[in-house]
Amino acid sequence: MALGIKLARVAIIITIFALWEALSRSGIVNPRLLPAASDTLAMLGQLLQRASVRNDLAVTASEVLTAFALAVPFGALVGFLIAENRYFAEVVKPLLFFAFSIPKSIFLPMFILVFGVGFAQKVGFGFFSTIFIVIMSTTTAVEQVKVEYLTVARSYGATSAQTALRVYLPSMLPVLLEALRISMIFNLTGVILAEMYASRDGIGHQIASWGENFQMKQLLAGVVMIATIAIAFNEGIRWVETRCSHWRT
Amino acid sequence: MTARALRRLIVMGLIVLWEVLPRSGAIPELFLPSLSSTLLSGWNEAAEYRQALAVTLSEVAISFAFACGGGILFGAVVGSLPRPRILIMPMISSLYAVPLVILYPVFTVWFGIGPESKIAFAAIYGFLPTMLSTAAGIQTIDPQLLLAARSMGATLSQRLVRVIIPAAIPTVLSGLRVGGALVIVGVVVSEMLISSAGIGYLISRYRTILDTPHVFAGVLLVLAMAVAFNAAIKWIERRCAIWRTGTQGGQRAAREITASPLQPAT
Repeated sequence: MALGIKLARVAIIITIFALWEALSRSGIVNPRLLPAASDTLAMLGQLLQRASVRNDLAVTASEVLTAFALAVPFGALVGFLIAENRYFAEVVKPLLFFAFSIPKSIFLPMFILVFGVGFAQKVGFGFFSTIFIVIMSTTTAVEQVKVEYLTVARSYGATSAQTALRVYLPSMLPVLLEALRISMIFNLTGVILAEMYASRDGIGHQIASWGENFQMKQLLAGVVMIATIAIAFNEGIRWVETRCSHWRT
Repeated sequence: MTARALRRLIVMGLIVLWEVLPRSGAIPELFLPSLSSTLLSGWNEAAEYRQALAVTLSEVAISFAFACGGGILFGAVVGSLPRPRILIMPMISSLYAVPLVILYPVFTVWFGIGPESKIAFAAIYGFLPTMLSTAAGIQTIDPQLLLAARSMGATLSQRLVRVIIPAAIPTVLSGLRVGGALVIVGVVVSEMLISSAGIGYLISRYRTILDTPHVFAGVLLVLAMAVAFNAAIKWIERRCAIWRTGTQGGQRAAREITASPLQPAT
């Protein structure tokens, strides 16, 4: 059964690509607007050979990772502090919900005004678009920890290090992994948007300029490339999540 | 002090700081213009902003219709049939990981820089969450309700109108809230990237000439739009509360969706 479902999914993906190929080759859709799938994939191979594209990928990766490395510990700390104090949580939570629900992208011009166009602006915006989701999910994660477990651990005389490692971490881990996955999605979107909006390098900038120059083959190859990277990362974390699910309390 | 009072105090403090910090020069006016000068510059160019708002709102309305119509229809079909659900849902939620912004250049090539490309982009942007939450809402309907209806001889259309739709409404509404917020983001972002009209375009144009008060007036306008939309959906939710059949599953799903990752990604 599981194998059948997997095969069916692969079949769906192949059908989509075949349809794309057929539409373009038969001329139903103008091939200049939609180059054939095979041509696009060949172009993707060529692009990956190019030093400039590799450089763009490296730039984007470094921006994404820096923003992630800054936003996750900071957000986790703030979220933890909020969740630990009930009064404070009651005060701050609606504000956080509000900050979380407003569109972040309209503040992008502000980052350009403050940081100029460059590395700091992308990292700043990536940080800004990630931090709220990290705070929110950490608060949820802390709330997952059952008070009974804490009471038991304390009454048996567990040190605070032991409570952190043996009670907090196992209860929070599934939610935290999920949070990491989601915040990476937010982070990647933020950095790529910032690159598309105003930038000199990075893969988002590359995609925007291919679009402006009507280089459809390169553009679609770039879209396929980023989509593949994003999906691969997402599925990777999901795999770890299922491996860790026996820890779930 | 009660939590609510302290919260009000914090909000008021932030507003006062917004006025005082730029005025005193602690933050350069280029980075953050004071609240009064932002409002004043918005007021001075009111006609321009009104025109841009009309363009943006019409784009939002059309793409909202597409995103929600498609999302609810597709979500209802996928959610009510078990086989496609098992097959397709995981694929769609992995698709959710893709930063959809990269599709916008493709749409500008296909549809030009007019409203069409914005509508197409925003509709796709809002489609996924609406669809996912509708599917979840249909899926979590208490099977006992359906069983009871069926054993009392309800026809398919009766089951649909009297059981399935009322039970799915809370989840669908929270899906609409997220979908609508994403549609607003999608339209504004695409206007900021490449366009010739709309609020996003105004924000971008004033940014390039470093006219910060006008940039922030545009930002405030978009914020007001998002807040107004949220309030409208909340109002509808309250009006529909009578319809709620109070199934545990449906309410839990609604809560999960509002608190969960299906929120405006940037």
